[in-house]
Amino acid sequence: MGDLPAERLLRNLEGAAYWAAAAPVLARLPAALGYRLACWRGDWLFRRQDGKRSEIARNLQLVLGNELSPAAAQQVTRDWFRLRSCEAVDVKRLRHGARPLRRLVEIRGREHLEAALAAGKGAILCTGHFGSCSSGFSVLHASGFPVTAIGRWHHNYTAGLSAAERWFWDRVYATPLRRHRQRPNIEPWPGRFDVAVRAAAALRANEVVTISIDVPPMDSDRARAVQVPFLGRQVWLLPGAVTLAQVTGAPLLMGFLYRAADYRHQVWEISAPVPVEGETATAFERCAAELSAAIRSSPAHWDFWLTRKPGHGAAGYGTGSLARLGLIPPQRDSYEMDPIG
Amino acid sequence: METVINDYISRELVQDPALLPLADETSLLETGILDSLTFLRLVIFLEERFGITMGDADLLPENFTSVNTICAYLRAREPGKRQASRG
Repeated sequence: MGDLPAERLLRNLEGAAYWAAAAPVLARLPAALGYRLACWRGDWLFRRQDGKRSEIARNLQLVLGNELSPAAAQQVTRDWFRLRSCEAVDVKRLRHGARPLRRLVEIRGREHLEAALAAGKGAILCTGHFGSCSSGFSVLHASGFPVTAIGRWHHNYTAGLSAAERWFWDRVYATPLRRHRQRPNIEPWPGRFDVAVRAAAALRANEVVTISIDVPPMDSDRARAVQVPFLGRQVWLLPGAVTLAQVTGAPLLMGFLYRAADYRHQVWEISAPVPVEGETATAFERCAAELSAAIRSSPAHWDFWLTRKPGHGAAGYGTGSLARLGLIPPQRDSYEMDPIG
Repeated sequence: METVINDYISRELVQDPALLPLADETSLLETGILDSLTFLRLVIFLEERFGITMGDADLLPENFTSVNTICAYLRAREPGKRQASRG
C-alpha cells in the first residue's frame, strides 16, 4: 500500500499549497461557500488517494466490524477526507481574535466550564484526537476560558521532515493555534518528568488544561498504563487525566467537538464533571467509555483511522496508533502520512 | 529533612519493594521511582511540608535526582542561603 516517491511528492506539494494558499482564501469566503469548497477538495482526495482510502476502510472494518455497512464505511471514509480539509479552513479562520471561527462554533456545556473555574482549581478538559479539536481549543480560549494544552506539535516529531518543512508547518498550522493558548503546549517526551507538574501549575492558575486520552503510551510510560475497554477491546491507555484530577482536585470534564451536517457549524459538547473518586482505573474507564461512544457515533471525526508507517515519528508517537493501541494487528506496511494532511 | 523526604518517597512513591530501603543517594530517575505523576505528588508534598512554592525554574532534573539532591536544593532555598548566594 505504499506509494511512489513522485506520488508522495505531489501529494505533499498539494497539501502544502492547500494549507498555505487555498485554505486562507477559503477562510475569507462566506462560510457556506468556503467549507463547501473544502469538502470538494476532500472528495477529490477521496477519489484520488486510493491507498489512504482503502486503508481507512480496512481499519474501520477491523475495529468496528459489522457496525458499519460497506456503504456506511464508504461514507465515513469520504467524510474523513472532508473533515481534514475543513480543519485547514478552521485554523485559517482563527484570525481577528478567532471571531470568524467563533461565530460557527456553539459551546454546549459552557456552564460546566464556568462552574469549574469559579471553584478556582482550574478544569481538565478530556478529549481525543477527535474533530478539529486543536482549533476548538483555540475557540474556547478566545471565548474567555484560558486554555493550556498537553500535547505535541506533530511536525516537530515526525521523522524525515527537513528543517524547512518543520518551519513551514509551524507557520501554517501551529502559529495560528498557538496565538490562542494561555501558555505554550506542555509536550510529553520520554525523560521529561515535569509534564504533570506544569499541568498542575496551569490548573493552580485556574486555567483549562486539555488532554487527549487516546494516545498509545510511550514505552517509558507503559508501567503506569491501565487496561480499559475501548472500542470493543481491552486497550492500554494512560490514566494521567484522572490522576491529575485526583491529585489537584480539579474537576475533569469530557469534551467533544462535532461538525454539523452542513460542515461549517460545529458544536462543543462539554460534560458535567466526571466522578474521579476511588480507583484510578475505574474512573478512567468512564472517560474511555465516553470517547468510545463519541467515536462510534461519529467515526469520521476520529483522526486515527489512517495509520502511519512504523518508525514514522519519534518514539512511536502518532505512528500506527491503531496497531499500537491493539485495535488492529501490527501493520506490515501501512500508508505513510503527511505531517498535517 | 532527609528522613522526612525518604520516608515519604519510600511510603508513597516507590512501587518496587526491591528498591527498599531507599538510600539517600539512590537515583530517583534512573530507578523509575519518579515519573511525571509521582513527581507531581512529590512536588505537592514538598510544597505543603516545607511551605514553599516551586516555579518553573525550580523544576530542574538535577534538583530531584536523589533524596540528597532534593535536600540540597531545599537548603539552598532557605532565605538566608538565598541572600548569601546572591550577595
